Amino acid sequence: MNDPFLKIDNLSKNYGETQALSEISLSLHAEELLVILGPTGAGKTTLLRIIAGLETADAGRIAVKGADITHQLPAERDIALVFQNFSLYPNKTVRQNLEFPLQAPGRNLSKEDIANRIAHSADLLRITPLLDRPATRLSGGEMQRVAIGRAIVRQPQLFLLDEPLTNLDAKLREVLRVELIRLQRDLGTPMIYVTHDRIEALSMGDRIAVLSEGKILQIGSPEEIYQQPNSPTVARQLGYPPINTIDVHKRRGQWSTASNHPIMTADHNAPSNATLGIRAENISPRGGEIPATIEVVEDLGASTILLADWAGQPIQILTSGEQPWHIGDEIYPSIDPDRVLVWGTTDEQG
Amino acid sequence: MRVKDGVLKYGFVGPALIFLIAFNIFPLFYNIYLSFTDAELSGGIARLIGGRNYGVIFDDTRYGTALRTTGLFVILAVAIELLLGFALALALQKPFWGKPALTTILLVPMMLSPAVMGLYWNFILNGHYGVVNQALSAFGLFQPQWLTDPDLKLFSILIIDIWMWTPFMMLIALAGLNAIPNHLYEAAAIDRASRWTIFRRITLPLCSPLLFLAVLLRTTDALKQFDLVMAVTGPNDRATQTLSALLYQVMFRGYKIGLGSSYSIVILLIVIAIATIFIRYIASIQAKQGRETA
Repeated sequence: MNDPFLKIDNLSKNYGETQALSEISLSLHAEELLVILGPTGAGKTTLLRIIAGLETADAGRIAVKGADITHQLPAERDIALVFQNFSLYPNKTVRQNLEFPLQAPGRNLSKEDIANRIAHSADLLRITPLLDRPATRLSGGEMQRVAIGRAIVRQPQLFLLDEPLTNLDAKLREVLRVELIRLQRDLGTPMIYVTHDRIEALSMGDRIAVLSEGKILQIGSPEEIYQQPNSPTVARQLGYPPINTIDVHKRRGQWSTASNHPIMTADHNAPSNATLGIRAENISPRGGEIPATIEVVEDLGASTILLADWAGQPIQILTSGEQPWHIGDEIYPSIDPDRVLVWGTTDEQG
Repeated sequence: MRVKDGVLKYGFVGPALIFLIAFNIFPLFYNIYLSFTDAELSGGIARLIGGRNYGVIFDDTRYGTALRTTGLFVILAVAIELLLGFALALALQKPFWGKPALTTILLVPMMLSPAVMGLYWNFILNGHYGVVNQALSAFGLFQPQWLTDPDLKLFSILIIDIWMWTPFMMLIALAGLNAIPNHLYEAAAIDRASRWTIFRRITLPLCSPLLFLAVLLRTTDALKQFDLVMAVTGPNDRATQTLSALLYQVMFRGYKIGLGSSYSIVILLIVIAIATIFIRYIASIQAKQGRETA
């Protein structure tokens, strides 16, 4: 196996008392699209800014193709960063925005080369008709394409994208998401894509790194992260409706809730206290023994989400939309035992 | 309710309107009227004499000299103040220890009265006992007669004006620099722009509308230069007589109200013309850049 393209070792960063990043280690392979998924304030942007060189880490090492770049200036790194707020140069046209990185000292591109590269990138991002427009006279989606264009004209060795689709409306987000994947595949340039959006993470990433409170909780393929999350926190990052997590203890061979209702059979070598993770699609509203009361019915068309009170335990159930459900209906939820995630509980809250 | 609202409306606007008419609009039109008369402070009934006063202006050699003096003063003062002020603002752009205190100290000259400053600088630049020449003599250097040498007098007033108003340029330039969002500098750093490129293609163009505004304000103000001239050399000195000083001489020393009014109208027209050019220019830049910064 070759050296990874980008290798980050034990990166830490503090802002005063706040620990923004704590011993982050990850690697990125050539041509890989790595998604960093985490809630707001997890340290995602800080991590990107450190990789780009806009901030310096307190400790740790960053290497590109084996060469240490930890202390290099942003300009020396040949890494393109697309900012969440686009950061276009407001006093310039779209074309001038795209030209700007190509006119950097040391590039020595001919006028023809510059024109060709801009034409190519503009074509790729479908912004050719906008080239002579002032950067301030663009819609959000257009600005985002130009910002991405400014990154790709450079043909950098690494792309960093900081929640590039967050400021766009849902429809445009879907279109650009597909375009970004296509673009990354076409260019073959490795990309780190930061988002808090689970759909983007699942659909885009070759691998996903889940970041929470400055720590990487798990790195793996989207399937691994979805199917085998190593903690309730990771499990909650993916899937909609969010996964049901139920604190249980073992009692007469059964997992029992805090109110001593046995909800399913426990494995005999399982720990005595655990948190069960049950995705909403793995609970059926029928077939169980303990009754639950429907509190909220969320009709999604093809399917329905039921929020129910199951012996004091709130649960969400994803069911097909065929049968009409009503608030107050009594149901008997049953859990698919093969699809339950069990995390042994330690003293510390996971 | 509606009637009450109407009354209230005029009640609010009325006092300001009356004030404006009494102290701005009426004097302006009265001034225009006077400029077509032979009114004098020494008495007699003012008679309309048509445009004869305006004819006198262009025969008056003092007028041409004052126009040249004023022009030279305005161009040099505003240009040097702009350069120094902008340079100071750039130096103060990044935070460093003692920056707030230093900024405050640099702003002090702007806050003092020009007449008082003129008197102080009279002492500072005095050829015999002034602190500047004392210092020069301590080094055995030539001691210029700042306030009496006809070639130096205007230059001395220029120095005082620059000393007073460079902080103003600095203040506005600082506001312009601070309005440039930091992420643009970060984007430029990632785009591998050199410091000079960042300055020339981001800092300067984004700061320029405010700089032009500062130049406009300073230009119109410097065109009216009067107080420093009064305090340093007096209004009658041919070497430093600005348009306003000439106006003062005609109006309040010669008591020729009609003629003086026509001088003031001509100055007003010059100021309006220059201000209009500047304002159009600033508006065109702003239109080009868009109102928001992305």
